[in-house]
Amino acid sequence: ALAKSPLKELQSNPMVQFHEHIITELLEDSNGGLVIISSGLNLAKLVSSLLFLHSPSQGTLLLVSPSSHSQLSLKSQILFYLNRHQSDPLTFPSEISADLPAHHRLSLYSSGSSFFVTPRILIVDLLTHKLPTSNIAGLIILNAHSLSETSTEAFIVRIIRSHNRNAYVRVFSDKPHAMVSGFAKAERIMKCLYVRRLHLWPRFQVNVSEELERNPPDVVDIRVPMTKYMVGIQKAIIEVMDACLKEMRKTNKVDVEDLTVENGLFKSFDEIVRRQLDPIWHTLGKRTKQLVSDLKTLRKLLDYLVRYDAVTFLKYLDTLRVSESFRSVWIFAESSYKIFEYAKKRVYRFVRADGSKIIEQGKGVVGKRKKSKGDDNTEEEGTTSGIVLTEVLEEAPKWKVLREILEEIEEERQKRLSEGEENLLESDKDSSGIVLVACKDERSCMQLEECIMNNPQMVLREEWENYLLNKIQLRDMKPHNKKKHKDPKGFGVLDGVVPITPAQNAEASSFNKQERNALLAAASEIRNRAKNDSAVVEDQQNDMDSTEQATGKRKGRSRKGASKTNNSLDKTPVDNQKVAIDDHQPDVDNIGYAKGKKKVLNKKGSVDVGDSNNSKDKNVGNQKAPVNDKVEASVSGCEDQMNEINPGALDGFSEATCSTPPSEPGERKQRQQTKLLPPVQFYALESDQPILDTLEPSIIIAYHPDVTFVRQIEVYKAENPTKHLKVYFLFYDDSTEVQKFQASIRRENSAFESLIRQKSLMMIPVDQNGYCLGLNSSVEPPATTQNSTRKAGGRKDVEKDMQVIVDMREFMSSLPNVLHQKGMRIIPITLEVGDYILSPLICVERKSIQDLFMSFASGRLYHQVETMVRYYRIPVLLIEFSQDKSFSFQSASDIGDDVTPTNVMSKLSLLVLHFPRLRILWSRSLHATAEIFASLKANQDEPDETKAVRVGVPSEEGIVENDVRAENYNTSAVEFLRRLPGVTDSNYRAIMDGCKSLAELSLLPIQKLATLMGSQQAARTLRDFLDAKYPTLL
Amino acid sequence: LSVSSSVSRNAILVSNRQKGNPLLKHIRNVRWAFADVVPDYLLGQSSCALYLSLRYHLLHPDYLYYRIRELQKNFKLRVILCHVDVEDVVKPLLEVTKTALLHDCTLLCAWSLEECGRYLETIKVYENKPADLIQGHMDTDYLSRLTHVLTSVRHVNKTDVVTLGTTFGSLSHIMDASMEDLARCPGIGERKVRRLYDTFHEPFKRVV
Repeated sequence: ALAKSPLKELQSNPMVQFHEHIITELLEDSNGGLVIISSGLNLAKLVSSLLFLHSPSQGTLLLVSPSSHSQLSLKSQILFYLNRHQSDPLTFPSEISADLPAHHRLSLYSSGSSFFVTPRILIVDLLTHKLPTSNIAGLIILNAHSLSETSTEAFIVRIIRSHNRNAYVRVFSDKPHAMVSGFAKAERIMKCLYVRRLHLWPRFQVNVSEELERNPPDVVDIRVPMTKYMVGIQKAIIEVMDACLKEMRKTNKVDVEDLTVENGLFKSFDEIVRRQLDPIWHTLGKRTKQLVSDLKTLRKLLDYLVRYDAVTFLKYLDTLRVSESFRSVWIFAESSYKIFEYAKKRVYRFVRADGSKIIEQGKGVVGKRKKSKGDDNTEEEGTTSGIVLTEVLEEAPKWKVLREILEEIEEERQKRLSEGEENLLESDKDSSGIVLVACKDERSCMQLEECIMNNPQMVLREEWENYLLNKIQLRDMKPHNKKKHKDPKGFGVLDGVVPITPAQNAEASSFNKQERNALLAAASEIRNRAKNDSAVVEDQQNDMDSTEQATGKRKGRSRKGASKTNNSLDKTPVDNQKVAIDDHQPDVDNIGYAKGKKKVLNKKGSVDVGDSNNSKDKNVGNQKAPVNDKVEASVSGCEDQMNEINPGALDGFSEATCSTPPSEPGERKQRQQTKLLPPVQFYALESDQPILDTLEPSIIIAYHPDVTFVRQIEVYKAENPTKHLKVYFLFYDDSTEVQKFQASIRRENSAFESLIRQKSLMMIPVDQNGYCLGLNSSVEPPATTQNSTRKAGGRKDVEKDMQVIVDMREFMSSLPNVLHQKGMRIIPITLEVGDYILSPLICVERKSIQDLFMSFASGRLYHQVETMVRYYRIPVLLIEFSQDKSFSFQSASDIGDDVTPTNVMSKLSLLVLHFPRLRILWSRSLHATAEIFASLKANQDEPDETKAVRVGVPSEEGIVENDVRAENYNTSAVEFLRRLPGVTDSNYRAIMDGCKSLAELSLLPIQKLATLMGSQQAARTLRDFLDAKYPTLL
Repeated sequence: LSVSSSVSRNAILVSNRQKGNPLLKHIRNVRWAFADVVPDYLLGQSSCALYLSLRYHLLHPDYLYYRIRELQKNFKLRVILCHVDVEDVVKPLLEVTKTALLHDCTLLCAWSLEECGRYLETIKVYENKPADLIQGHMDTDYLSRLTHVLTSVRHVNKTDVVTLGTTFGSLSHIMDASMEDLARCPGIGERKVRRLYDTFHEPFKRVV
């Protein structure tokens, strides 16, 4: 009843009915509930509708979301939909960040509005009483699938529920497959969040499927055949994968049933394997571990095969070969030779100087050869080696198909246009006229855009020339590289060619040498040509000129920037800069190039004028190039049309509308045969934006089909039933792409089936008033106050009110939660020394096994122990194993016969020898740690927070009240900085003070560095390292 | 002492109490000899070790305490070498941990006799070794240093390091790269691009 009227209001916006159902169901239980929906069913919009129903009179609503990338995009989507719902920005949820002063936060928490807050800030505010729990209406948690009993969210809910039983907890997930990993995961999550209702909304649910299938979009399913070599590579990868899986089975360590190639296509395969192997991970031999990582590599390769162009794929393989060759198992598998061989053949092959084929190469690639003008030179110059390189440069088959579809669309549109004014208006009402092309990643977007606007061969050539130039440039730089003469051990391959298979004999390698020379010859030829060409600015031939900047790509448009900042102003400068290569407008360029693309400025002449078509800006006219007039003409020709079609709704999205190609002279015309193309918008699925609702396209081309996106299309269509929508799917026929698509539907369905079964068997204990009793309910109700001495677990009573001081950063881990469960009072503070202070004497540094290995390697542990020893009587290193992993340090095979410095036992022994006062705790699990802490505290005084906070703080820094350090620092950058040679514990703070970011640091001259670092030598070490030239691959 | 001084300096001296302990088979990299010493193993001038099997501890919970008391204050480093040879470790390990901590002993856990032997050997061999090994002075070759630096950014792996290196040519170019250029590197997806870019371009200190 309560919900009825606001729901009515909601209906004024297009909304799918099943969203209404979900919300109604949720509102029925004042406790809250766990909602699991199929991916793509627009969780963001669902949550935003829920937020819309919130009124301040109910109390404050907190949206708990960790600051992970996926959560951030979910957050921005929620804001997007709220924006569309309502105009009143006052009720908009804002972010509670650590920057806000304490009293400010307190007043926000009491305000009754809704807020986004990270679990870490929320828990700290709860523990330090900055959050009046009685004012909380409820919590919304957006990542149910990543929760567990010990996660901070569970901690938060426990504290809030103990104070305020009426607060609701609404939990969501649109990743059903992640909700079924582990035993009864859904039930356990519900218990720890004190939630008793589970709402399942799979795509196959009757209401959902009926609604989505009522007015389905027109679907065109296009199967594109792969090329012979692609098929070959795919087959080889699957063979190698299969071989690796067989190896895995032989280890007898994993359940064979789950080890299928189909499963191997998914990221979650790693989870399956890891879940099985984790308990024994430390006891596994190197080989088994390597197999796990190899399978991951192979999965990536399969994906990249259909995603990347031939040259990029080859480049990636080259990289893999260098970075993996010595460790990986798969590279030595029989079929992997084929992967490398075919990948190469897609790009280039060798012929004898006289033109005859080389027998060793096996079957030729007749018919695939696409020689271009440059090749004649190559052959002439390469004669010395006897072998000459010929480019093959196989295009991705989908490229051509995409182009054909676009042409067809445009043709149709033109037809409709000519049919008369009335029809045009009608169709315009219906659609923005823009075709949306959805690819997996930003990279594909950029590349496809170039393919569509230029010529695919040209795009490939550019990649190819970059590939070659990269090799030769790096080779040239090598002599200057000071560090190079110290031949890095284990990486001698960098100097020579990497053996492909161990079976290769000496003869073959001399053949390889010839090949290499031919490659180098081709590369230097290209470089010379590039140099010549750059002198001849107006040369129309130089479209292939890739210039010296291997990295300075042809267009300086910052799509990332545009899609990130939702700034409508962005559009104009972005468009501008395509044309404004002109010297007249350096300022505009600099603004436009905010992303650091200054290099493009030199690229006069090779810039693509064609891009300027869609520019609404008259600045085009300023351009001085000889093609100027014609460009202008063509621009103004289509301008009106463009303005009509482009309603400016694209603000903030990377835009690639290319319409009628200009009728400029030059090869562009010949190549494209003046076929017309409709305006196109490329969209990277990875960027996870509400693109459909923003752009409202009527034609969508799913270039990389993805189930989530398909669902998004379905929901979009259901919300706009009258809109005409046509969707093209581009699949590679018989590819793993298809398999993966189908398997992901099967996988989700089976996840839901399993959840439905679990739901029917669920036992959620409830008290008389219908409140969920939570996890420990079987023993006793949860503690009513957080200072309670009663322990929630109820096994052993803690006699006194124990306190533990915990470093703020430790709230990333689950130990504070478990300590609290044990009945200890948690005092969050920013600690300079140690992670936990148990008493005035005892200071603990906690290390998980993984951390331990890493911090030994970085030297961090040594320094941490050093400071602990300096400031505390009883410095303690806690080595914490996890419950579900094996309780042991390493596999028996890792022990070896000798004392080796790399072994973790050696390092630990050394640590112990150097710090005989260091005590070591070995803990089986989080819970065991809590018990150890309690027993160690038994005869000790309580720790003093005012003292603890001062320990080890450099005096000049002072103490910032409520400083949540990790939130205030770019921790990743600080860690990066501290790992740079020349940077030490004593100078890194000064560097951070004197220099804003790492990017800035990379440009600082040595004198400035010396001043900051207080040492000429350290500055030189750093500068040299920054500028050292990376060794070549060839 | 019954052994000559040269032996006693370079060897582990083993208490006669340890006779018959199968652990001794696994001390192979250092010489050892029986001697009349208070601790189970005399590892150096001021370091010693007591061997404790958790199974034994379950039978004789007071044994450890008495042994520690015997040591008096004669050693700087007093290791309790705990052989984890029972399944249900939590309770006995808690007791041993507490005893060790309250009586100034360093607890080392080992899961096999080989590991026990290796700890004794290592402590003896490393008796006078400087701490370089754990102070973070890693391999000095360029590639491992570069890898070490770049992999501090989450999810960046060794292959990515090679990709970045070959694409940009030097670390300073990587650090100054635009998002677009980073996104063009094969294998570096949206997430990694953002992470790298933020690491390089977000200020060290976020507070204004």
